[in-house]
Amino acid sequence: MRYASQCWTIATKDLRSEFRTKESLNAAIAFALVVLVLFSFTADITNPELIYEMSGGLLWLVYAFAGTLVLNRSFARELPNDALDVLIASPAPGSAIFLGKAVANYLLLLLIELICLPIFGILYNVRWERNIPWLVAVILLATWGMTVIGTAFSALTVNLRLRELMLPTLIYPMLIPALMAAMRLSTVLISGEAITGNDWIWFRLLIGFDIIFTSLALLLVEVILVG
Amino acid sequence: MDNRNFTYMFYGFAAAWTILALYVVTLALRESRLKTLVDTLRHMIDDKEKPQ
Amino acid sequence: MRQKILIALGLISAAWLVRNLSVMFLQLPDERDQDAIYRILFFHVPSWFTCFTAYALAGFASIFYLVKKNTVYDTFAVSAVEVGLAFTLVGLATGSIWARIIWGIWWTWDARLTWALITCIVYMGYLMLRNAIDDPTLRAKNSAVLCIFAFASVVITYKSIEWWRTQHPAPVLDFRTGGGNIDPAMQSMIYHNFGALLLLASLLVLVRMRQEDFLRQLESLRRRAHAH
Repeated sequence: MRYASQCWTIATKDLRSEFRTKESLNAAIAFALVVLVLFSFTADITNPELIYEMSGGLLWLVYAFAGTLVLNRSFARELPNDALDVLIASPAPGSAIFLGKAVANYLLLLLIELICLPIFGILYNVRWERNIPWLVAVILLATWGMTVIGTAFSALTVNLRLRELMLPTLIYPMLIPALMAAMRLSTVLISGEAITGNDWIWFRLLIGFDIIFTSLALLLVEVILVG
Repeated sequence: MDNRNFTYMFYGFAAAWTILALYVVTLALRESRLKTLVDTLRHMIDDKEKPQ
Repeated sequence: MRQKILIALGLISAAWLVRNLSVMFLQLPDERDQDAIYRILFFHVPSWFTCFTAYALAGFASIFYLVKKNTVYDTFAVSAVEVGLAFTLVGLATGSIWARIIWGIWWTWDARLTWALITCIVYMGYLMLRNAIDDPTLRAKNSAVLCIFAFASVVITYKSIEWWRTQHPAPVLDFRTGGGNIDPAMQSMIYHNFGALLLLASLLVLVRMRQEDFLRQLESLRRRAHAH
């Protein structure tokens, strides 16, 4: 129980400090909007068939780009005043710090995604509400995958000068299986169809991806933070 | 078709070996650069430590 | 002693490669559908095997480093990744040239090629991370963690992209299909070349490891010089 309360304390601390200034939240949503607008210039977006085909892909690209802004801040916010050293020196185990931050990032990312989805629907005339339960499931699973890898790598790159540049470069290739699965499933679900035969592979991939990388991150976070 | 095949085959082999050769050359260049740096630093330190 | 091992490795791999090349050109017939160009595959496929082996070994070395904290594992990991990247580039180049003839295009987003490109980027990220960290212990630790994540990711990506797109020739080697799809002489040639390239890769890794030791010496000398 102590472990859970430690995680929760760290999660709420992060969320509280983020909601005081809302800087990365605002930046992320603004960036998402910019990408949505930019994308409208790439192809004939009045063609509904084309839009529905690309809906999943575009949505997750926007989520991935906006998410990185939030994930970057995750450990970077602890740098001033040696807050990171204090955190590490505290009795909370490294995995509790990691889980706490991961949960905070997860909730922030979900908030951003929740805000972007209706905007995406309006701007591109996409009706995404036809398969809500499954769409929510896909979003929850894929966002967790993004969060776990993003938070772990945020810890890895926290001390680097070029942190803002390195984090996206490192995490996007790693996220490709999860993003592929999310894009594919989202396209199917947004188009109004149910997940059939072959597409279950992607769903299982998402679950497998989450399990594997969460375990790996929990195993290694102590090493990353402490040494 | 046959002729083009042979030509491209040789391009393929050439590409493979060129990439490996470039890598070996990079290794060799780096090695000589490191050697000179190590020697320079060694001399610098020895000179500084001599009077003491 | 070390010099002798390096030279021996070099000679054996050179001899083996010469033997392979001669068999390739003199004894093996032209393939029915692909004429002469298929011979590139004798370098293309073994390059992939070699690079994947290098990445796997780097991943294991990283795990060993985190457990034992012995810098030799870190040295091995960076050397293996670099050599693996070189062979990845060889694989990409030979594959593209083969594709230009057989498919008419230099590139396509099929499973293996996409995977190859992603793997290239992932491990370039590894080298970038190493360059960005100056402190040797921190560098070794962080890049070891990244290497483990990278290998896990590369393995998963391999399978996922295979589900996503396949235009690349399906497996033909016996251990994948259970036999009968490929002329045994050609198959043995692929394994022979794999052996030869693996020896070559080992030679390059050993050379690179020695350079990494030089780098470490350099850094400690720099620190001493600054101390004066």
